[in-house]
Amino acid sequence: MYNFDLIRPSTLEEAVKALGQDEAQALGGGQTLIPTLKQRLAMPETLVSLSGIDAIKGVCVHDDGRLSIGGGTTHATVAREAAAHYPGLAALAASIGDPAVRARGTIGGSLANNDPSACYPAAALGSGATIVTNAREIAADDYFQGMFTTALDDGEIITEVRFPVPEAAAYQKFEQPASRFALVGVFVARYADGVRVAVTGASEEGVFRWSEAEAALSSNFAADALKDLSVPADGMIGDLHGTPDYRAHLVKVLTGRAVAAAS
Amino acid sequence: MSKFGISQPIKRVEDVRFLNGTGRYMDDTAPEGALRAYVFRSPVAHGEITTLDVADARAADGVHAVLTAAELDAAGVRNQMDAAVVKNRDGSRGAAPPRPILAIDRVRYVGEPVALIVAETLAQAKDAAELIELDVEDLPVWTTLAPGGEAIHPEAPENLAYDWAFGDAEQTEKVFAGAAHRVSLEIDDNRIIVNSMEPRGCWARWDGARMHVSFSGQGVWGLRDQIARNLGLDKGAVHVTTPDVGGGFGMKGFAYPEYFAVAEAARQTGRPVHWMADRSESMLSDNGGRDLVSVAEAAFDEDYKLIGYRVHTTSNLGAYNSGFGQNIQSELALKVLTGTYDVQDVFFAVKGIYTNTVQVDAYRGAGRPEAIYVLERLMDHAARQFGLSPWALRQKNFIPADAFPYVSASGETYDVGDFGRVLSRAEKEADLDGFKARRADSGAAGKLRGIGLCYYIESILGDPSETTKLEFTDTGKVRLYAGTQSNGQGHETVYAQILNEFTGIPMDAVEFVQGDSDLIAKGGGTGGSRSVTTQGTSIKATSSRLIENFTPFVAEELDAAPEEIDFEDGNFHARGTNKFIGLMDAAQAARDKGRDDLLVCEAETKLPGRSYPNGAHVCEVEIDPETGQTEVVRYTVVDDFGVLMNPTLAEGQVHGGVVQGLGQAIMENAAYDADGQLLTGTFMDYAMPRAIDTPFITFHSEPVPSTANPLGMKGCGEAGTVGAMAAVGNAVQDALWDRGIRRVDMPFTPLRVWSWLNRADMAAE
Repeated sequence: MYNFDLIRPSTLEEAVKALGQDEAQALGGGQTLIPTLKQRLAMPETLVSLSGIDAIKGVCVHDDGRLSIGGGTTHATVAREAAAHYPGLAALAASIGDPAVRARGTIGGSLANNDPSACYPAAALGSGATIVTNAREIAADDYFQGMFTTALDDGEIITEVRFPVPEAAAYQKFEQPASRFALVGVFVARYADGVRVAVTGASEEGVFRWSEAEAALSSNFAADALKDLSVPADGMIGDLHGTPDYRAHLVKVLTGRAVAAAS
Repeated sequence: MSKFGISQPIKRVEDVRFLNGTGRYMDDTAPEGALRAYVFRSPVAHGEITTLDVADARAADGVHAVLTAAELDAAGVRNQMDAAVVKNRDGSRGAAPPRPILAIDRVRYVGEPVALIVAETLAQAKDAAELIELDVEDLPVWTTLAPGGEAIHPEAPENLAYDWAFGDAEQTEKVFAGAAHRVSLEIDDNRIIVNSMEPRGCWARWDGARMHVSFSGQGVWGLRDQIARNLGLDKGAVHVTTPDVGGGFGMKGFAYPEYFAVAEAARQTGRPVHWMADRSESMLSDNGGRDLVSVAEAAFDEDYKLIGYRVHTTSNLGAYNSGFGQNIQSELALKVLTGTYDVQDVFFAVKGIYTNTVQVDAYRGAGRPEAIYVLERLMDHAARQFGLSPWALRQKNFIPADAFPYVSASGETYDVGDFGRVLSRAEKEADLDGFKARRADSGAAGKLRGIGLCYYIESILGDPSETTKLEFTDTGKVRLYAGTQSNGQGHETVYAQILNEFTGIPMDAVEFVQGDSDLIAKGGGTGGSRSVTTQGTSIKATSSRLIENFTPFVAEELDAAPEEIDFEDGNFHARGTNKFIGLMDAAQAARDKGRDDLLVCEAETKLPGRSYPNGAHVCEVEIDPETGQTEVVRYTVVDDFGVLMNPTLAEGQVHGGVVQGLGQAIMENAAYDADGQLLTGTFMDYAMPRAIDTPFITFHSEPVPSTANPLGMKGCGEAGTVGAMAAVGNAVQDALWDRGIRRVDMPFTPLRVWSWLNRADMAAE
């Protein structure tokens, strides 16, 4: 790890100001950034820790029924506090990493990093969530822009994520054997106006919606509705743990299982 | 039988300090004020060094020294590591190219040490390392497990390090030619990274006259001799110690370059120097394990009796000979080549290959798991080809119980065994009868279920001699000096138990001393499942001598003739009287009377023969055909370990061993790309088994006491790994056989299993 300055603001305004400095980097739960720093793979001059900002933590339900989660809320808190309102989302949070990761990692940190194998992007895109920052509101469909790439501007902080609560939803993750990240993860959510299917871990473009499956499931919410569909292997990630063909195959298998689990 | 003696399931006394954070591992023992060392390693797999400029690093903040081959040379250090070689089949010796401590002119694998930077802090040493200028003119990289490619060493054209063979090729060919049935199978044994929980590390201190090196290892005396030789010191001027060790598994059994460079840095700077590998560094630079491919063939008569066995193996050595690299897949694998089967016409040939990868050497079992894996996969394959029960084929071919002592084709004298009885017990304990129903249940849930058997035998290796010294202290304790080296196995507990059995000395009075070349003159360290058998035998002999030494003194104390003194349950007793004295009290009396000669006792013993633990591992797997995921769902072990010294510890060794074996089988795999870069250099890509990946492992003892040692025991440290790989492999093959899959190789990762199923499905269409 290289030396850096650590700033620990207690308000959003202070954090935004601190992030305006050169070479400043936001630090959420640190579950990706700290290992990166330890391996000397990054050298920010200043880290701005968001963990002291109470205003961006917590889970609550809006009057319109949407679930709102503060950007600084840990996975463990979501797993616990969202369970009664959005069990599919809470179960996803409960399956991220291990207890230590869930105790430190935050939803804002995960969405800002947009790791192609992370779980939360599938939930946010699969729910049609709104990413709220200190500056604006961004629809999930506009937010995810490829591997490790998002619509966030430099220094922009995720303060809140708003999830419309579906009638039914489930997440199915097939774990990469070493990292236990999603080799492929599929989030399926059924809303009154249609079904959304979001896939993580599989594509070189990061999280994506499988629109053919959405159309098929919107008219028949059953695993059987997928039987004539297939996912092209083009553009899928190929590595030691999965070829593009294998990942494409898993997308279909896991979508079917997610539908079965949600039904 | 004493409550604390042999065969009691005593809990491990050392676990208290291990679990409450007061263990003393490498980092805990570094001297105050030690400088920190960081190793600058080759970033490329093969090439000539054209520039190595460390001037800026040497001038950096906090830096005390930067060593390269040039500095070692200037200081008169012998820049070379030692290694054994095998004898080729033509009578010549295996290649012995020099392996430097720090690279000389050329680098041959990614991670090879090039320079050692020593600074006040680790961060300063790492900062300085970034200032080193290294230019390497690339040479072609060879990572293929076959002869060929640009020679990595001039001593080994085609990268062939050795060409070793055992047995009568012609006679074996004759048997094969006349056999009623023949089978053949090519079998991969994938490369693993050992990943001991505590990485390697060392520190060194030079006081102007003596060198003290402390390292995380498996025995201190070998390193002492090598440090003395390479640094030009007398053996008496080198003191080597080892604190608590968080796992060795054979990987820590050999010297590594860092230990010599750190010692020399301590001598040059006059300050203690401390080096500890981080995890990524360990994955790059620790000796790897396995990494071989074998073609195995078996010949049977018309009655399916095994009459000939032939194996051709190609073994990856990495870039240089490690300490015992050449011997593992040749001489050590040979020990159990034919396993538990009665077959005498054999031929075993092994080629060792250099590649631009880190060295490969001993890993839990060291050649014996590899040999048993090949044999037991082939026996299973044979049974399937013949349409016979794998269980019945084994029973038919076992060395019969009345044939012991039995000299195997390898020349090993198996002392005792009753393989048929052990296998029958396994059939019952594993509920073989119930498998059909379990398979049907799995099938109803969409899963393919398979059952796999491995009947293994192990040969205990390592130095058969060991010394024990007992010393009564003036604080009422008894110090037990051992020549073995615990790496976490529980030696402190089991040795105190054995001492208690033969002397009655309370377990809590024992102070355990190991891993110190000044305090202990010699020893064999840990390796080859030798520790408890060799040290236990020596403790027994030392105990007898101790009682013998005390008897005349006690006789005088009790007013009796020496021949009237009995010793039982820790007490000397004058026969026919009510006069007795405990050993601890007798020791106090001896001290009071100036008989200090009685307070120390030492004996060395040598085992008359090796023991051969053996047993049956029965594994059941469930495979999800949609994803290729393999889950080990049931695991049963029936072992003949002879007399168990501590059943709990023995079972623990089996559990750990099985998990290492099934880890290799279902997920572990070290992969290099064509440029020799390690693709699995972190736990993000190198899969280690976790508790959730393993079922409950049931362990049963079906003992036939060994006659090759006075304790009747058989070493059990490696047995779990020896049995596990083929048990899992055969279970996976069983699950996939009906889908038309005829060859399966470790690791059984989801991707590989799915690919086999997918290909088989496409072929069927």
